[in-house]
Amino acid sequence: MIAQQVLNGLVLGGVYALFALGFTLIFGIHRIMNMAHGAVFMSGAFIGLFMVRIGLPIWAALPIAMFGAGLISIFVEVIAFKPLRKLALADAELASVISSIGAGLIILSVGQYVSKTQTMRFPFGTVPIDAIVVLGLRVTMLQLLMLGVAVLMVALLAYYLYRTPQGRQIRAVAGNYRAAQLLGVNPNAIFYQTFFLSGALAGAAGVMVGLAFNAVQFLMGEPFLLKAFVAIILGGLGSVPGALIGGLVLGLLQSLSGAYLPALLVDAVIFLLLFVILMVRPDGLFAQSMTESPTKRV
Amino acid sequence: MTSLVLKGVGKRFGGLQAVSPFDMEIARGKITGLIGPNGAGKTTVVNLITGVYKLSQGNIRFGDIDLTEAPRHEVARAGLARTYQTIRLLPDATVVANVMIGMYRHQKTSLVSQLFGLPSSRAETARFRDEVFRLLDRFGMTRYADYPAGSLSYGDQRRVEMMRALALKPEVLLLDEPVAGINEVEAAGLGEIFRDLATEGEGMAVLLIEHNMRFVTNLCDYVYVLDGGVLIAEGTATQVVNNPAVITAYLGDDKDA
Amino acid sequence: MMSFITPHLPLLDLIFIGTGYALSQAIVFRAGTFSVATSGFAALGAYAAAILTVKHGLHPAVAVGLGTLLGLLCGLLLSAPLARLRGVYQAIASLAFVEILVALILFFEELTGGPLGFHNIPRVVTPWILFFAMLATMALLTLLGQGGIGRAFDAMRQDPPVAASLGVNPARYHVLSFALSGAIAGLFGGLDALRNFSLTAEQFGFSILIGTLSAVVLGGRRAVLGPLVGTTILVLLPEIFRPLADYRQAVYGLLLVVVMAFLPFGVYDTIVMKLHNRRLARAGMLAPKVPKAMT
Repeated sequence: MIAQQVLNGLVLGGVYALFALGFTLIFGIHRIMNMAHGAVFMSGAFIGLFMVRIGLPIWAALPIAMFGAGLISIFVEVIAFKPLRKLALADAELASVISSIGAGLIILSVGQYVSKTQTMRFPFGTVPIDAIVVLGLRVTMLQLLMLGVAVLMVALLAYYLYRTPQGRQIRAVAGNYRAAQLLGVNPNAIFYQTFFLSGALAGAAGVMVGLAFNAVQFLMGEPFLLKAFVAIILGGLGSVPGALIGGLVLGLLQSLSGAYLPALLVDAVIFLLLFVILMVRPDGLFAQSMTESPTKRV
Repeated sequence: MTSLVLKGVGKRFGGLQAVSPFDMEIARGKITGLIGPNGAGKTTVVNLITGVYKLSQGNIRFGDIDLTEAPRHEVARAGLARTYQTIRLLPDATVVANVMIGMYRHQKTSLVSQLFGLPSSRAETARFRDEVFRLLDRFGMTRYADYPAGSLSYGDQRRVEMMRALALKPEVLLLDEPVAGINEVEAAGLGEIFRDLATEGEGMAVLLIEHNMRFVTNLCDYVYVLDGGVLIAEGTATQVVNNPAVITAYLGDDKDA
Repeated sequence: MMSFITPHLPLLDLIFIGTGYALSQAIVFRAGTFSVATSGFAALGAYAAAILTVKHGLHPAVAVGLGTLLGLLCGLLLSAPLARLRGVYQAIASLAFVEILVALILFFEELTGGPLGFHNIPRVVTPWILFFAMLATMALLTLLGQGGIGRAFDAMRQDPPVAASLGVNPARYHVLSFALSGAIAGLFGGLDALRNFSLTAEQFGFSILIGTLSAVVLGGRRAVLGPLVGTTILVLLPEIFRPLADYRQAVYGLLLVVVMAFLPFGVYDTIVMKLHNRRLARAGMLAPKVPKAMT
């Protein structure tokens, strides 16, 4: 029934939100699209899986997966984005997209090798399969975990960005890279931090998705990245609260349309929504960037 | 001879009246000056004319053509060219390429012809190229033809921008601080060129925005003075220079002329 | 990328078709638009050509022609909504368009064969046909680039407000670039359909979109030869590294990263740039500041 779908949607939405947050963080700060984000997400799932396989409980595996994904994200920044920073932004944009695609492919192929192209699963019992009943809805432990992780991560991120000096620096750089540099902010430190955070968030999302669908596979990132664009655009590129709301809306949409529409149309609906949003309100709900036509009278 | 006529032209940005409604005529065969302290709204006026800003009040006519709401490209097609306060060349394109874009207005060959590179289109491109080299010659810049525009000195870049504006063969030429940052000798040279443009043949209608008072008094036949978006004086250069309100505007505030 | 480097197909076919797609992509970049809709237009051209040939018995040439037309029309249609967006938003919108199209192709099984693909397409397109199509397209784009349209595109790409203030009507050229892109993609899509016995929707999805994009950026966005160079590199290099077949993706990825790090303007464009600079340095008395790009 609908309420159950809504619950499922919110849980899925939480994961989308984590993923979208990581992506939008990079875009908001550096104005670049990190196309390796899906691969980082996948590597988080892989690390989480292997940690569980060697005997760690999920609550230990998760932070390790996040940490690992964060490091992999820094690797992406170093090989794909750093070499291009010396270029003017306009030239660097497209080149960075391609470069990050390349980095993503490298990570993907490692995943392929490690998994021997098989789909892997978390061992039975990684998360207790009990469920509780709340307000007439059946909520599994897994769903609680996913919601809890999402909420915790968002809260931690918000705290970091808005209440710590490092976070303030990150937000300063988002406004104006040059000015921040002149004020003594070390841009490299900012880059490493934001990429690490982005990766950690993606890694958390990866573990959650791996658990939720009980499938960890080296290609799991791609469809996620594409759909996550909806969340990111809806909320507004570069907006943290936007990514959160966008993720939740996307999760709800996918869950509800999945229940009532043929599977093949769900994708069409989601991307149609993306297109419509771009037509109607490209800046999203919490706009951060301008999309004015440069040749109309203002 | 048609002039560019502004009637009651004003611009508001929200609650701020950046330019209060005023009248101005830029006549052909003359150099008209628009002066005033920094922030007076001079560039705003040029932006209103060229289609960057929407007019909040008034209208702009050039002969029979009403330019009040015309988008930028139509303003250009009507025969208005402008230069910018900060240089806006395509830095990585060659000097020739930069100037050649100015010839766009004169393209007569059909889209189909251009699409398939038919002889008429190729002939036109060749004609344009000749025209561009004539301009380069006039400005003494032929040897820089294939250099990326961004690699030239500041003064030379200014000249490329000028050539681009002239390639349009405009009827109205709007010059926004064309000699800013240029030494006296070069500025005088450019001044000569402006005078020629206004008086040669049919004569262009030239609007000159400048801070350099000597330059203005030497060149301009008629001057308008803006201060804080308001027209505070107009007249011949001599009249304006001796106008007490103008003197106060320039000497009475911290921003230097 | 997986379908882009399918090992069973002759490499030349791949290079010619891939270059065709890359040219379709490159022309919108030249006009300053960040659309990646090429694979969508190609899908339309391909399925149109296939369906018309197989289900309605039309002559393949006519079918391909209609596919081209369909691509052109779709380009015209898409140009309007995309004109209102800038940069990355255009890219995402065009990506959405492609994904919607792929999903719809999969959904309308009756017409397109859905997930199972469309089969039994007569294989009438030879490498020679592809070669001439590619050559003709490159010639067209070269001629176009040297004339008024090329100048207008260049101006629009580099500084739209200045271009407009010189008389370039942005809407007109925007639409034109999309029409061209759509037509070229539709053409090569149709040709692609008729050389392969079967079609699947995935052929035109995200993978090929990325492959086409990479080819353009790798080879060079400016020169007409750029897409050819980029496509050739992307098709041949993995073949050269055949012994490392399992690591094909890693090789591909490494290639992208390395080329972007050292030659961010693309292999061919960088060569052209260096030669141009050398000529200038030799001819001139001044040593001009090395430009960051030749756009």
